Amino acid sequence: MSTEEELRAAIARQFGRSLHIRTLDTGSCAVCEQEIRLLAAPHYDLHRLGFFFTPAPRHADLLLVTGPMIRAFEVAARKTYDAMPGPKVVVAVGACALGGVYPADPFTHGTVDAVLPVDVWIPGCPPSPLALLHGLGVAVGRLAEKVRDIPFTAEDDTERVRGAS
Amino acid sequence: MTPLDLFYIAAGAWAAAAVAGLVTGRTTGGLRACCALSALGGAAAAGGGGWSLLYGDTSVVSAGAATLTGGPLQLQATSLAGVFAALLGVVAVAIACYAPRYHAPSAGTALYLAAYNVALLGCLAVLTAGGMVTFLIAWETMSLACYLLILRHPRDLAVARGAFWFLALSEAGFLLVVAAFVILSATTGFTTLSGIAAHAASVPGGWRAAAFLLAIVGFGFKAGLVPLHVWLPEAHPVAPADGSAFLSGVVVKLGVYGIALFAFRLAPPLGTWPGLVAMGAGAVTAAIGILYAMAERDIKRFLAYSTIENTGIIVTAFGAAMIFRASGQSALWALLLIAGIYHVANHGCYKTLLFLEAGVTEHATGTRDMDRLGGLVHRLPRSAVIAFAGTLGIAALPPLNGFVSEWLIFQGLFQGFRTGSHLTGILIVLAAGTLGLTGGLAIYAFVRGFGIPYLGMPRTRQAAEATEQGQPVLGPGLLAVACVALAVGAPVMLAALSRAARTVTGVTLGPLLLPGNLTVIPAHTDFAAFSPTYLTVFLVCALAVPLLIYLAGRPRAGTERVPVWDGGIVAFRPRMQYSAMTFSAPTRVTFDALYRPSVSVSRPSDDDPAGRSGPVHYAAQVTPVFQRYLYRPLVRGLEWLADLVRPVQSGDVNLYLLYVFAVILLAYLLGAV
Amino acid sequence: MTLWFVRGLRRGVVTTRYPARPEESARYLPTPPAFRPRALTAGTADRLAASCPSGALRRADDVLVFDVGRCTACGRCAAEAPHAVTTSGAFELAATSRSVLVKTIPLRGETG
Repeated sequence: MSTEEELRAAIARQFGRSLHIRTLDTGSCAVCEQEIRLLAAPHYDLHRLGFFFTPAPRHADLLLVTGPMIRAFEVAARKTYDAMPGPKVVVAVGACALGGVYPADPFTHGTVDAVLPVDVWIPGCPPSPLALLHGLGVAVGRLAEKVRDIPFTAEDDTERVRGAS
Repeated sequence: MTPLDLFYIAAGAWAAAAVAGLVTGRTTGGLRACCALSALGGAAAAGGGGWSLLYGDTSVVSAGAATLTGGPLQLQATSLAGVFAALLGVVAVAIACYAPRYHAPSAGTALYLAAYNVALLGCLAVLTAGGMVTFLIAWETMSLACYLLILRHPRDLAVARGAFWFLALSEAGFLLVVAAFVILSATTGFTTLSGIAAHAASVPGGWRAAAFLLAIVGFGFKAGLVPLHVWLPEAHPVAPADGSAFLSGVVVKLGVYGIALFAFRLAPPLGTWPGLVAMGAGAVTAAIGILYAMAERDIKRFLAYSTIENTGIIVTAFGAAMIFRASGQSALWALLLIAGIYHVANHGCYKTLLFLEAGVTEHATGTRDMDRLGGLVHRLPRSAVIAFAGTLGIAALPPLNGFVSEWLIFQGLFQGFRTGSHLTGILIVLAAGTLGLTGGLAIYAFVRGFGIPYLGMPRTRQAAEATEQGQPVLGPGLLAVACVALAVGAPVMLAALSRAARTVTGVTLGPLLLPGNLTVIPAHTDFAAFSPTYLTVFLVCALAVPLLIYLAGRPRAGTERVPVWDGGIVAFRPRMQYSAMTFSAPTRVTFDALYRPSVSVSRPSDDDPAGRSGPVHYAAQVTPVFQRYLYRPLVRGLEWLADLVRPVQSGDVNLYLLYVFAVILLAYLLGAV
Repeated sequence: MTLWFVRGLRRGVVTTRYPARPEESARYLPTPPAFRPRALTAGTADRLAASCPSGALRRADDVLVFDVGRCTACGRCAAEAPHAVTTSGAFELAATSRSVLVKTIPLRGETG
């Protein structure tokens, strides 16, 4: 096993069955928070997978960050990250946190990566609870990454796939 | 040799100190000399007081030739007064160590020291008075000297007001005390206290009850029973710190001594209802005292109300003791008497300590307002530790002395069912419940009283720059040691007190109170037991356990140190902390029927409620219920009466000649008859 | 309370089985676009890049750079060039490195 695979195996062992998540809003519109909140609702129920929310960074294993990291929040974000004991995982959620929507300017960094070391990126605006579950599974090594193999091209131009927007 | 000889030494030392203070108080050396003499007197008084606990009552001694009153002074050292005298001595020593660093030598200080030592002398004379006239002379001496004490800065209007409240209520009380004494001496035919005590049983019950009621109101003015307490929060803040300490620590206790004197020596045997009156007054006083304390920002006013609360506790204990005596429970009678006197000693020590520390704080920071302080534990570390010892004591937390005496009082009250009467039992339980409420509120109040000024961050520049340089530490430190000694040495103290109680009650409580092995039981073995000494030892050892765990499991090398998780706050500011008033807000909201707060808000304009164009001023006041609804109407009534009588003094010389003629005629007629 | 309980029993378990089983309702989710390379001329690519409010689309020489991370699935690019853009239907988009989310889509060459 390569180092990376060893690391993934270790993370899966450590967190795969029981993970405590601390959410952090660095200036988002709170819709990502609503989707995250729905994870605890009966339909998606993250508890059945062994994931739990905790408000205390000292008890947290995973930091779930939304929002474009406004500069006013930088100190609090760093303090939250520093207060988490290792090993810890940082997951950036939503287009804002990934660098879209808001560019870097005097009031915001534009991307969470500018302040915290991100391990897993979850695109979406907002990402649905299913996407979040998939992302959390990738973070703990239970699920495989799929986006690497999606080309985002459609060869067949005769048929249109219907999708709700 | 009797304890009275030690008291003579003390009196002599204090008289010398008064003269020395008056003459040399303008110089530092004179100040020190006066305080040294005062300390000597204090040591002698403490020794005499402690000895008289064990010695019992001495005989009545006539001292001095014919005085202004036409007879010699009559002195007697009693064991009931022993603890009070010992407290007087200890407080005098502590204040003597404190005063040289607190006062700057000046003419005002010279006068102040003279008045203070005369007050000490007066207190000692009250405690050793063997006759009625001696007692009254000593009482007035003490009151007037205390008035001069409070009036250290006479040109300040607030000081003059506070001193005047003290004097007015003292005199009102004095009148009633004179009336009480006159009733007893007229009906028994004796003027010595032991004579009255010996013949009290022959006086009809109604007279004795009347005398006791007059005494409890009269002494209640000095002791601070509600609604007679009004002078305490007015006079204490304006007096110098050691003066306030002396007032709260000793003078108020003399009021309590007077009540005890009448209740247990001069007026008994009394029925149940005078005891119920005393107990009820005490319970109400305790609750109201601590409730008002919660609403105070000024440290000294806060401590003054706390004194009122503790007076209430002591008088409740004495009242219950009277009830138990009336129903024949002599063991419980002795227990509550002992517990009440023990609480007197305890409260005297820690209240004096807290007032002295309030003085240190005031000198170090320039303010008495809790909301301008904060973080003093870093700037004044030794004072903070000493103040903490006092706070633990007054909050009645184990293992300190307040806990022991309050535990005894509670245990005595809980055994109210032994009186045999359902109504009395229920009333005693109600009093115990009120004291329980008081105890809980006292802890809350003193967490606030210690936490807001000493802990947290400094709220103002003065608090941040306070320094302990030149502040007195020895005086309060001695009292802190006394508090610990009274706690750990509780069995010894209780043994001495039961010897003293024996002379008053005739009950030997020793074997019942202390079954030999440092354990205390409240009069009946089937009720409860507790050992203050073992508790202290246990608590100290219990602290060792977490210490050992820490030492054994200390993090090894390779640990990462990160700051404490504080919620991610960027910078802590002092204004993020509790203020004194917000900390007590739940109590003030719950009991707003008592406080009747009045709130005034002024905004820059009616169109701008949020205050964007200018500051919004908010002021909340507690209504002074007793001044407004009791004293002001009384004073108005008296003024109205005075107006009615004014025509008599018309200034007309002819009318005055008519008065003279009428009186001469009356004298002739009476002479003829 | 009882009524709620009884109704709940009648409805049965509504919790999704995802990720163990695929989720039925996933097909209704808004998803990032998929592009038809044969419909992507340079002009179309420029128009698409201009229409994206989030900066997810960018034309670089012969390729259209599509940053999936920045996409908000707003649909403006599909409205701008409907023949070139369709939905991808992909919602499991988590990535362990940021660069994996930046896709390059070749434009239609001059030869077509």
